[in-house]
Amino acid sequence: MISLSQDRGLLSHPDALHVAQQAPLVLKDAPKTISASPWASLFSAPDTADLWITYENLLLSCLRSGDDKSAIECLDRITARFGSQNERVMALTGLGKEATAKGDEQLQHILTEYQEILGENAANIPIAKRRVALLRSMGKDSEAITALGTLLDSSPTDAEGWSELADLHLSQGHYPQAIFALEEVLVLVPNAWNMHARLGEVFMMAAASSSDAQLKYRAEALKRFARSVELCDHYLRGYYGLKLVADQLQEDKIRSKPKNDPDSFTIPDQETLARLSEVAMERLADIVRRYKAGEPLWQGYDSSAIAAAADLLDKTKQTLVR
Amino acid sequence: MAWIPRFITFTGLVLLAHAGYSAQEHAALASTTAQHSNQAGTSTSLPIDISIETIVATMAVCIGLVLNTPNLRPIQWNVWAGKIEREGAEGFRDSSGAVEKDYRGNPFSTLESRPGFVDIRKQRREFAEWAKSEST
Repeated sequence: MISLSQDRGLLSHPDALHVAQQAPLVLKDAPKTISASPWASLFSAPDTADLWITYENLLLSCLRSGDDKSAIECLDRITARFGSQNERVMALTGLGKEATAKGDEQLQHILTEYQEILGENAANIPIAKRRVALLRSMGKDSEAITALGTLLDSSPTDAEGWSELADLHLSQGHYPQAIFALEEVLVLVPNAWNMHARLGEVFMMAAASSSDAQLKYRAEALKRFARSVELCDHYLRGYYGLKLVADQLQEDKIRSKPKNDPDSFTIPDQETLARLSEVAMERLADIVRRYKAGEPLWQGYDSSAIAAAADLLDKTKQTLVR
Repeated sequence: MAWIPRFITFTGLVLLAHAGYSAQEHAALASTTAQHSNQAGTSTSLPIDISIETIVATMAVCIGLVLNTPNLRPIQWNVWAGKIEREGAEGFRDSSGAVEKDYRGNPFSTLESRPGFVDIRKQRREFAEWAKSEST
């Protein structure tokens, strides 16, 4: 069951459809307009934050599933309540236009509109973000990177922006830049265990594509995964990465032992790596076993992640038997 | 089963009020008898049943309130984070079985989904493709 009144991440397709199908009912139940006056709330429905988050969630899901009529209705109600000059409402309006735009000309038109809004008020962060997203969506990745760079220059504490920048660079294959941006995210939110794991994954990708700094990247990845499982017990993604990188480092060491790198980084010795790999494997096996046994308090994992972990465990078992 | 602790608290409060009323009545009665009889040594201390009722009522109120508190949350970061990852919304149900209102899942997941930068056109395309593959 999906609660409508929560901010949430990306829904899967069936979930989005399910949410979008609820839209007409919710729209029918809720009153059309809600007054912000404290007197009016004595006689009519209260003006709660939940309602507006619900509308926003419905708007996103309806746009995604193509139910434009309900989406416009949601947008109208939000606009009626907060006014069309509210920055967040402006971004949502732009989102609606983007979704229903046909052809590149209209998109170009929306882009110039964003440009004009930003010309009037350059501090309109939601619109600046929409502009970056639209540029990226149109395939102009390098322009999007420049636009996002200016946005981050003016508001360098925006973790979401840094994270998007990392993703943009990653899609272009600029690993060092992506790593830098993710490190900025971690400076802002040092306890975000998923971002530590993400940085570890990017380090792994960078290691796979470069030949000279491979060991260094893997050593960093090891640290990041270890930190992510330190911050979060039973973190499947963290243990998965830890297991992979510890195994790879063990092989690397065997292959190229007497190598003194000028860069200052240390790789733990073989024993520690072997133990890390073992611990990660134990934890993964535990998680997979309990999830598959249907224990009630172990069902929060993603089924595809569990399948991947089970796969990894099978592979390790095979190599051990050999 | 949310009504049991509330019922205990309510009963306790009623008993407490009753004990208070009894004590007041007893005091009024004792003072009038003392005036009329003018005898020294009449017992003016509170009868034992009122004392017991007061103690029992107070304890019932305490138990009811304690039982009615929401679940305790882990105070260590890694335990709390692990609970979110391991249990999902299941682990955050209150005594009536509904998911707690302030449950938000992983608060940092928005850093990966990035709602401010959502690419709605891509999502729309992908959804249309998914819908097509579902219907065929």
